[in-house]
Amino acid sequence: MARKNREKLTAALFILPSFAGIMVFYVIPYVLCFVQSLFVGNRFVGLENYVGLFSNYTFTLALKNTAVFTVIAIPLLMTVSFLIALFLCSFEKINTFFRSSILVPVVVPVSSLIVVWQVLFEDNGAVNGLLSSLGLGTVEFFNSWLSMAVVILVYVWKYCGFCVILFTAGLASISEAYIESARLDGAGAFKIVTKIKIPNITPTIFFVFLMALIYSFKIYREVFALFGDYPNENVYFIQNFVNNNYYNLNYPRLSAAAIVLSAFIVVLLWVFFRFEKKRNYPG
Amino acid sequence: MAKIKKPIKYIGLVLIAAVFLFPLIFMLASSFMSSSEISRALNFMDESFKKVKLIPDMFSAEQYYQVFFRRPEYLQRFWNSVIITLPTTLIQVVVSAMAAFAFAKLRFPLRDKLFFVYIILLILPIQVTLVPNYIVLDKLGLLNTFASVILPGAFSAFGICLLRQSITYISDSSIEAARMDGASYFMIFTRIILPQIRGGLVTLTLLTFIDSWNNIEQPMIYFSDTAMYPLSVSISDIAQNDFGVVYACGVMFLIPPILIYMYGEKDIKSPFTSADKL
Repeated sequence: MARKNREKLTAALFILPSFAGIMVFYVIPYVLCFVQSLFVGNRFVGLENYVGLFSNYTFTLALKNTAVFTVIAIPLLMTVSFLIALFLCSFEKINTFFRSSILVPVVVPVSSLIVVWQVLFEDNGAVNGLLSSLGLGTVEFFNSWLSMAVVILVYVWKYCGFCVILFTAGLASISEAYIESARLDGAGAFKIVTKIKIPNITPTIFFVFLMALIYSFKIYREVFALFGDYPNENVYFIQNFVNNNYYNLNYPRLSAAAIVLSAFIVVLLWVFFRFEKKRNYPG
Repeated sequence: MAKIKKPIKYIGLVLIAAVFLFPLIFMLASSFMSSSEISRALNFMDESFKKVKLIPDMFSAEQYYQVFFRRPEYLQRFWNSVIITLPTTLIQVVVSAMAAFAFAKLRFPLRDKLFFVYIILLILPIQVTLVPNYIVLDKLGLLNTFASVILPGAFSAFGICLLRQSITYISDSSIEAARMDGASYFMIFTRIILPQIRGGLVTLTLLTFIDSWNNIEQPMIYFSDTAMYPLSVSISDIAQNDFGVVYACGVMFLIPPILIYMYGEKDIKSPFTSADKL
């Protein structure tokens, strides 16, 4: 009995620092934020801030862009890194140099690379130089729908390596004998991937998805670095909206935006959980 | 057939490595060009296209000389980054390791429910917590201090999830045996758990360090004094106004994360790999 209590006490002591921090910097702020979103000044207005938010053009634009980015970039990142992982796994032995090189973009700080992207993608940039020398004419990467493509490209490039590491770890854990027996039963390479490898790394896929989602919200750093405070309307994300409203000190609207964004994420996760459940237990 | 495929596969491998390494090589090469060579390559004057040059005409340390000896403000920014990043990383690793141990190996009521709450918090992005945090930091009087960026960054649920994952691989029997020998939980934590999750600790240190080193959002909003901005915020200004030193600044900025990465390179994969294959 005494031992059980001791264990509980220890657990409490070990958790206390993180619990205190998370209460002060996550939970309490969140509650305050929700309360504030229901007021204008000291007047209770119910959902008025939320209604105002959705009739605000810049907010709906930011929400739309964020959604477009999430829906395209995350599956793209997962597919590309899965394919690279499959490719790397097909080697029996790989030089450490190659393994490390794919992790380099994760390590290299965002700000260090801005110049590189600018030289490549500016109106007079190297990519346009290449296009025009091929006689294809130039495009405006920084002022058209291509801005979104650039942001997605940078995102996939940057986080691909980390996801590849996670996928290779998952793929390595599938037993060779299992794959071998499928091969003997006449399964082709494609069938082995879709019917054996993918179902067997479902937990890894879920973890990669979580990481991809978390990282997708950090893309603002690249957007800020590339396009500054007021990017063109193709890449005006929620974070831009939040930052710009800070400078106007519009707290009620900001609080409402924060709550809406969390709801957006929870819905996204819910869809994913549903999807995962269906695949695991068909019927 | 496998024999014909092999060279093609190696070419593919080299191409992949080149794609991921290209910007780094480009930046390193450019940092050794003189500012006049850079402005020629970047062509500000006429309308012709910028060139990607990977080999400087003449090796020059001019940029580094400027950054280290002529423009102390960039070193100051660098120092701000250090002041923010080191405590954030240290606190996060210690706090996460403690909590992860409790979540993974100790039994207490509501354990799994509490962990679920942690996971939900882990997923919430900075955009969501930025505003609420601002309100609390304002009430605590911490705005415009380094603590306003350090403290929220130090408490993240991410580290707890990662380390808990590593700790669950440690067998219960070794802990049980130590208990029988009369070891306290604290001793179990320091003597048994910590040495075995080295890989997890190194990974977390690296990821926290990079994340905090790259932090742009919080300093921009919580600091009204621009002299406190870390290099991550300043460098995008430099990129717009001061092409002469931007590559050297970029290289300077990425040295600390690269050093840590090189130090922990062996360990970083182990929390995710059971077999040493990859």
